[in-house]
Amino acid sequence: MAIATLMLTEARMTLWEMKRYMFNTVASMVIMYLIFLGLFWGVKSIAGQTVDATSLDSMVIGYVLWMSSLFVLQGMSNTVLQESQLGTLEQLYLSPMRTESIFFARGVLGVVINFFFVTLLLYLVMLTTGRYHSVNLPYFYGVLLVTLLSLEGIGFMMAGIGLIHKRVNAVNGILQFGLIGLMLLPVYPFRAYSLLPFVAGARTINMHIVADASFPLWWYLYIALNSLVYLSIGIIVFKLFEKRARKLNKLGQY
Amino acid sequence: MSFLKNVPPVVRVENLKKSYSDTQAVDDISFQIHRGEILGILGPNGSGKTTTIKSILGLITFDYGSIRVMGMDVTKSRHRMLWHVGAVLEGARNVYWHLSPEENLTYFAGIRGLSKGRISSRIDDLLQRLDLAEVRKKELRKFSSGMKQKVALASSLVHDPEILLLDEPTLGLDVETSSEVKKMLLDLAGNEGKTLLITSHDMSFVESICDRVLIIKEGRIISHETMESLRKKFSKKVYLIRTEREIPDACVAAISGICQVSFDDMEEGGCMLSMSMADVATLHRIMDELESAGVGMVDLKVVESNLEDIFLDLVRRIWQ
Repeated sequence: MAIATLMLTEARMTLWEMKRYMFNTVASMVIMYLIFLGLFWGVKSIAGQTVDATSLDSMVIGYVLWMSSLFVLQGMSNTVLQESQLGTLEQLYLSPMRTESIFFARGVLGVVINFFFVTLLLYLVMLTTGRYHSVNLPYFYGVLLVTLLSLEGIGFMMAGIGLIHKRVNAVNGILQFGLIGLMLLPVYPFRAYSLLPFVAGARTINMHIVADASFPLWWYLYIALNSLVYLSIGIIVFKLFEKRARKLNKLGQY
Repeated sequence: MSFLKNVPPVVRVENLKKSYSDTQAVDDISFQIHRGEILGILGPNGSGKTTTIKSILGLITFDYGSIRVMGMDVTKSRHRMLWHVGAVLEGARNVYWHLSPEENLTYFAGIRGLSKGRISSRIDDLLQRLDLAEVRKKELRKFSSGMKQKVALASSLVHDPEILLLDEPTLGLDVETSSEVKKMLLDLAGNEGKTLLITSHDMSFVESICDRVLIIKEGRIISHETMESLRKKFSKKVYLIRTEREIPDACVAAISGICQVSFDDMEEGGCMLSMSMADVATLHRIMDELESAGVGMVDLKVVESNLEDIFLDLVRRIWQ
């Protein structure tokens, strides 16, 4: 019951913020759309006729996946750093609920709200580019949500580091561009790259939607396991840094 | 408060020690607070006040000692303990400025698992009591720091905790808001039986609100008394004598030999002598010296030293 209330509270908070910062909400949506158009038409005009339709389709889906991953990857550490900067972080630590539950609820809620914008962006992009695909949304979001849990884990690690070192922008920057490359790696059938976070799920979604590829059940179970392992490691690392922050009195400092 | 000795304390801190690299922030501090009591912690900057409060809340891991809140060990049952505790640690910064008072209170209730439906009458009551009902839907960003501080106080009370820990609750507040906060805190302790631990630099605020005062310096307790016994033990009478004309050097030397006196020339002529002493006989000796030098007295005042004087005196003594 308390968890349900917590989820509802975080949903309310996100909506209050979106409403209050409506201009920023709309502007980021427009910017995401314009960046994609620039990339799409750029690739098309440079590569001309040599670029095949599958690559362009893959780019559409890949961009949307990348946007979702960025949101999750940076969301967690940004939340912790922003709360620390505002002076409200210690108040969150005064909740009888575990702080990681608060951050996790905020993260998941953020992803769900992000899905709404991503859907809008996906259809807008497909409409503009003419690369229309009938996307199985329950499949798309189901697999994406599970896949993103691995990045929540990485987000927890970054947030933990942020508790002590306060600024993690540089590492976040490397991770966000590193993800583009990682998403292109071959991961199926199973190989070393498949062990990386997010990559297996993202590639699976892309191949399923663009090339209509199908995968066995064990592969989806592996994606879930991969996510759970990274999420667990992330939470453990976060707790270790949190313990250190408590020892050094760094929770309330920025 | 001797009857309290048989009642288990609500907060019990024993032999608390905490150091940061080579600095001993808190050095063997022990105290207890009973239900309905208001304990003030006074001390210069960096004396360990905030570290003590944060240790009680489990925001800082301490090196040695034990802390029990409502009988619960803070290191083992921190989350359970937090149901009973509210705190304002960074004043106005403890709340979200981009939200309204109502949204802040709803949010802080929510992260404690309390739904809006269950808590709405409590939110209404708190906003009413702190005179925030009129502005309940306005963004905090537009508020004065006093109003933000009141929202922070309301947010810390939203889950109706038995214990309230306030770090510098009057910092940056105007006289009117400070008095409103004082009234509210006295009401919380007096009528609702809440237990309060307050750190402050505002001596008159502490003097007017606290039952007991803990004075700490460099992490150590230098005094732990009820307000009453603190006054009894350390309060001094300061005598102020204004003379009609300047005092001859020989007389100044004679008076200085009796006790420590400060002599200040007055703009309108004459001199102001101020001295603190334990007995009236010494005062009479000084008056005799003035009379024999032919210096008449215009005024004689007796001023009781306040908490600020006592605090400064104690800190100075320890320093020496």
